[in-house]
Amino acid sequence: MKFEALCQSGLGSSFMVQMNIQNLLNQENVKEDIEVDHSDVGSATPDQADYFFLDPTLETAAANLPKDRVIVLKSLVDADELKEKVNAILDKEGIDHD
Amino acid sequence: MALDLLTKDTIQVVEADHLNWQEAIRKAAQPLVDNGTIGKDYVNSMVEVVKKKGPYINIGPEIALAHSRPSQSVKRIGLALMKTKQDVDLVNKDHPIRLWFVLAAVDSTSHLEVIKELSQVLMDQSKQKALLNAQSVDEILQVLKG
Repeated sequence: MKFEALCQSGLGSSFMVQMNIQNLLNQENVKEDIEVDHSDVGSATPDQADYFFLDPTLETAAANLPKDRVIVLKSLVDADELKEKVNAILDKEGIDHD
Repeated sequence: MALDLLTKDTIQVVEADHLNWQEAIRKAAQPLVDNGTIGKDYVNSMVEVVKKKGPYINIGPEIALAHSRPSQSVKRIGLALMKTKQDVDLVNKDHPIRLWFVLAAVDSTSHLEVIKELSQVLMDQSKQKALLNAQSVDEILQVLKG
């Protein structure tokens, strides 16, 4: 399983989201091996990851990515929103978490 | 600690009246220009990238993280913060901003520690709130160091 955080430049905010996802997976005691990475939205391809995380301003730029695998985060610094959306994926994929 | 880049010299608290978002980014970045961290080219490029690509630097409620690609105009890693006492719309009214962070990176990895520490502060709801409500540079420093 691979999660990819995307932002416009692939430098700043996508790394922020990557880290927040990693921290959350630790907090949730997820044992399954989930790779989390970050890159820029322009170079993202559908086969690059199983799920993509981005903010609402990038939805058009990410039009080539399958909608059911794109998670839109209204805020990149909202722990509750991230937890809710990541846990929804974990549940959907049958991955154990707290 | 990477957030030590934020000092009384790189943090500002200002009235927002009449500032537009371009002026806000430029003003927030000015301390980094003054202390030789970045050149004017980098400031221009932070503004241009938003003009071209939209308000994606709006990373959270009323929070913007202005940055651009590493360039020769960046001499070392830099971080600055400007708090506007009122909202300034970033590009349009869907993106009101009060906290203007400015990040300067020299390559694609060395600034990651800064992002990490910044993110830890912003993910903390009470700190995020305290920063948004801070009325002075000292108050902001207290939140960051707390």
